[in-house]
Amino acid sequence: MVGVDSSSPREPTALAWSTFLLPTKAKVISPQDQATTPVDPRVLDAMLPYLTDQYGNPHSRTHAYGWEAESAVEDARKHVADLIGADPKDIVFTSGATETNNMAIKGIARFHKEKKRHIITTQTEHKCVLDSCRKLSEEGFDITYLPVQQNGVVSLNVLENAIRPDTSLVSIMTVNNETGVIQPMKEIGEMLRKYRGIYLHTDAAQAVGKISLDVNEMNIDLMSISGHKLYGPKGIGAAYVRRRPRVRLEPILSGGGQERGLRSGTLPTALVVGLGEAARIAKQEMKRDHARITELSDHLIQSINAQVEHVVRNGDVNGYPGCVNLSFSYVEGESLLMALKDIALSSGSACTSASLEPSYVLRALGAAEDMAHSSLRFGIGRFTTKAEVDFVVSHIIRTVNRLRDMRCVLYHQPSRSSSESVPSPLWEMVQEGIDINSIDWSQSQH
Amino acid sequence: MSTTVVTAPSRRAILDLYAATLRSSRAFSSYNFREYFVGRTREVFRGMQTESDPARLRTMYADARAELGVLRRSAIVNQLYGGPKLAVEVHAPAQEDTQQA
Repeated sequence: MVGVDSSSPREPTALAWSTFLLPTKAKVISPQDQATTPVDPRVLDAMLPYLTDQYGNPHSRTHAYGWEAESAVEDARKHVADLIGADPKDIVFTSGATETNNMAIKGIARFHKEKKRHIITTQTEHKCVLDSCRKLSEEGFDITYLPVQQNGVVSLNVLENAIRPDTSLVSIMTVNNETGVIQPMKEIGEMLRKYRGIYLHTDAAQAVGKISLDVNEMNIDLMSISGHKLYGPKGIGAAYVRRRPRVRLEPILSGGGQERGLRSGTLPTALVVGLGEAARIAKQEMKRDHARITELSDHLIQSINAQVEHVVRNGDVNGYPGCVNLSFSYVEGESLLMALKDIALSSGSACTSASLEPSYVLRALGAAEDMAHSSLRFGIGRFTTKAEVDFVVSHIIRTVNRLRDMRCVLYHQPSRSSSESVPSPLWEMVQEGIDINSIDWSQSQH
Repeated sequence: MSTTVVTAPSRRAILDLYAATLRSSRAFSSYNFREYFVGRTREVFRGMQTESDPARLRTMYADARAELGVLRRSAIVNQLYGGPKLAVEVHAPAQEDTQQA
């Protein structure tokens, strides 16, 4: 399989198209906009002084090197806070959204474990949220994984019905990394206000800097932020932890008590400055970026729909336009992936790139297995150009049409060797008006 | 009419800054950054062209000057670590004239 950017622990699960297409010579796997974004050159420029001349420890209070680093860190903190409408003192720097999600979910649950042992999340969360919850369930906590509606949005009624007297935390992501679905965080926050003592955490890694967020307007108590999803460096992220009213959690790391005691360890000044600068630029450019991304996204969807039939868009159409997830019916998923590998599609339809299981997010949306398997996720970002969109569109149209014209092999049985001998002209049957789903394939298998 | 003492930067100064910023934007060796900064420079300066408030124009000019410094340094770093050309640059000619510095 084509390699996945292994430096990203939050590698999302669906196929993704890069903002950077493959170079003609070197076979380099390029980043994708949901998996990761390139570091904005302006961000790198802000970071470089702290990697060269200004190497002070921001926690050293006794000399000028330390003061300079400290003031740079505090400026960065302010930029991050401004982007989400928070107070700078509420921002805690971490190594990324995976750490923040772990810290928030495990921290809240363990701090309140004497009285409260129930946590609510959704089935479409990122792996690091689901896995933190799985760990907690091993420790004896009850976890409710809420189903989502067909458009990927969680229903407020379903959420409200899941609340118990011993619920300590609700964790719902703002923007989904595979489908771009935006959850109604404001309504969820409003509803949860009625219940005292339930904290609301949101994984906003895919949302911060891309859509406007306000932690006070949305009544969010904890938020996860990732640096490399908003054109900042990898290895840095932030947690928003509300101080008024105070959110108490058990820290994962013990040590020197930096970052309000929630995250001990010396801050990486350069990375923090990079995240701050990325946040400042994101705020400044959000309107322009959003308008451009919407335009490119509409162009992509319209061009594909105009030239290929039977394309299904996964997830709410009012989601984040920079993440478009399309399924191509009557195309075999692996063939599609292999045929498109030269335009830097990342591999595997699952986080674990080696497994060929269809995406659990798409399955939670009710997508059939074959549709989840033949899904492609298009990530459009700040640095995507129209020429790239056109290039990818023409490539995909050619590939899908070619694959449909071929006599496709239907993998109905899990064992491939037995089914390979039964080629099935699926596409011709569809065109003859036969409903594929109505056929009892098991009769024709060996 | 505004009676403010703030003097707006001259047309000449703005045009010089525009030319210099465009030159730095074009000097990026990475296709995506180059395209982005060229497009963005055009938009920013088009906005300055239609701005009538001298105080605001002054701020925009000062911001653009500071940004030119950032772009100059960034373009140099980007050239130092430039990669091979992308498929899209070869197959689909860029809208921009991409002369290298």
